[in-house]
Amino acid sequence: MAASMQLIGNLLCRITPSILQPLRPFQSLQRIPGQPCLRTSPFMLPSHSFCNEASAEKAAKPKVVTSRYKDRPWDYLESEEYIEKYGTSSVWTGYRRNHKGGIPPQKTRKTCIRGVKVCGNPCPICRDPNIIVHHQNVKLLKQFINSETGIVYDPTRTGICMKQQKLLVKAVGTAKDHGFLTFQIPYVHFSEQDFSSSHDAVGKTPPPPSLSAGDSWYKWYGEIIPDETEVAKVKKIYADYLK
Amino acid sequence: MSCYTVLCYKNEYTMITPQFTDEAVKDILRRITGLDLQKVFRPIKQELKAPTYKLMTDEQLEQAVALAKEQAEKLLQMPPVLPERTPISDVLSEDRVLEGMDSAKYVFTDITYNIPHRERFIVVREPTGTLRKATWEERDRLIQVYFPKEVRKISPPHIFKEENLKMVFSQDQHEHVLNLCLVQFEPDSSEYIKVHTATYEDLEKHDKYDLLRSTRHFGGLAWYLVKARRIDGLIVDMLKRQLLQDAVSLVRLFHMVHPDTESAQEAANKEATNIDLLTIYAQKESQRSGYIELALQAYKQPAAEALAA
Repeated sequence: MAASMQLIGNLLCRITPSILQPLRPFQSLQRIPGQPCLRTSPFMLPSHSFCNEASAEKAAKPKVVTSRYKDRPWDYLESEEYIEKYGTSSVWTGYRRNHKGGIPPQKTRKTCIRGVKVCGNPCPICRDPNIIVHHQNVKLLKQFINSETGIVYDPTRTGICMKQQKLLVKAVGTAKDHGFLTFQIPYVHFSEQDFSSSHDAVGKTPPPPSLSAGDSWYKWYGEIIPDETEVAKVKKIYADYLK
Repeated sequence: MSCYTVLCYKNEYTMITPQFTDEAVKDILRRITGLDLQKVFRPIKQELKAPTYKLMTDEQLEQAVALAKEQAEKLLQMPPVLPERTPISDVLSEDRVLEGMDSAKYVFTDITYNIPHRERFIVVREPTGTLRKATWEERDRLIQVYFPKEVRKISPPHIFKEENLKMVFSQDQHEHVLNLCLVQFEPDSSEYIKVHTATYEDLEKHDKYDLLRSTRHFGGLAWYLVKARRIDGLIVDMLKRQLLQDAVSLVRLFHMVHPDTESAQEAANKEATNIDLLTIYAQKESQRSGYIELALQAYKQPAAEALAA
């Protein structure tokens, strides 16, 4: 009995693979650290698909998960949801990358989400769609910056994917530019006599004598008499271009 | 060039207002700024190193503290306060022959290494053929391109826009903004003056003078307030923090810069010192005289209690 159910399950898995896909984002939403993962078993599917095959095919079109906090991502870090999930520790504490061997690869994965497909064990930012890297989301950005040195942590330490790391570095740069984050500014030394504007380069110079209608371009133009043969030669060469 | 005030009869002597560069003025401003070593040498964000420990005798410790104070005084050097620079609008030549030759302007910069930036020739050839000297903004941009200074950007950062400045002031980051301004702009440029004015106005409005105390910007703030005749808030703040001598020096500076006011003349006549100076100023000049008198009384009370005890 159990074996036949398994076979039916496998068959249906092969026929309707797209139905399984939307499960994963919802799985990551429900995953709370410290508690066992609630994997919805594939055995629940058969009855569902037998009853409403038509609607299942319609529902099979995968949806991109949009967060409630899309316009104001900094509100999420004050919400109860966030405090329940993470408490006072940062978003990336406790996350462990999956890799072969003792030494992790020196670059984290390129990206966790390609289109709608999410990888297994997504990084701390990708696994929670409410966490959005934005230059005004200062609380989140500060979690990825060392408070003593002011340097952004390496992705091998925080575990975030390379795409999110790039976005994070860009957001930190914009935040510093707009004044949301402070940083160390080197001391500027002012010496005493630097600021006079008496030199000709920056001061007033008398305007040049302007050309009146009859004057030639340079004063000595009128005095030089051109050689007739040379002029004829040049005119011959450039005959096509002369007006 | 040094100018001294002559606190004497108006009709007999000509008044020469003191400038920011005068020794007397600088001395007063330096004293008002204070020297909190803990604030000047607070830990900055830099690469972490292992701490070093030194065993010292008392004498060596005193020498080290004296050295630290000298270093702090160098760090607290006040940035210059200059009038706004006159815009450059000199045309060197009008060459109509070149009109329509190109749709872009050509900028010619002299990149000789050993000349100061203020003596560097930078000229622009417009598409209409006029050859003119580059404006101050163009000059600053191009000098940053060819001789880059660290942290200075080619186009000014967005922090100096109105909305961002407001946000930064609400987070009490005035010192950060002023340091950035020092790095980015020249001291006589219009943006430098605008940013400083906005910062000083915000500090005065919200009475947040303590943010800049023991930094190099305090002198500039005090000078701006003295020039604008709005030193009441600062005096009240000083009296609240039991800094009587600083308040007195500030009032003396005010009398130096504005010798034609009633309080200055009365103070000169009576030759008042310390608390009397403050009371004269409070009565004659200030708009918040009640406040100042309250604060003076509050200051006198602990002194009286100490005498009584």
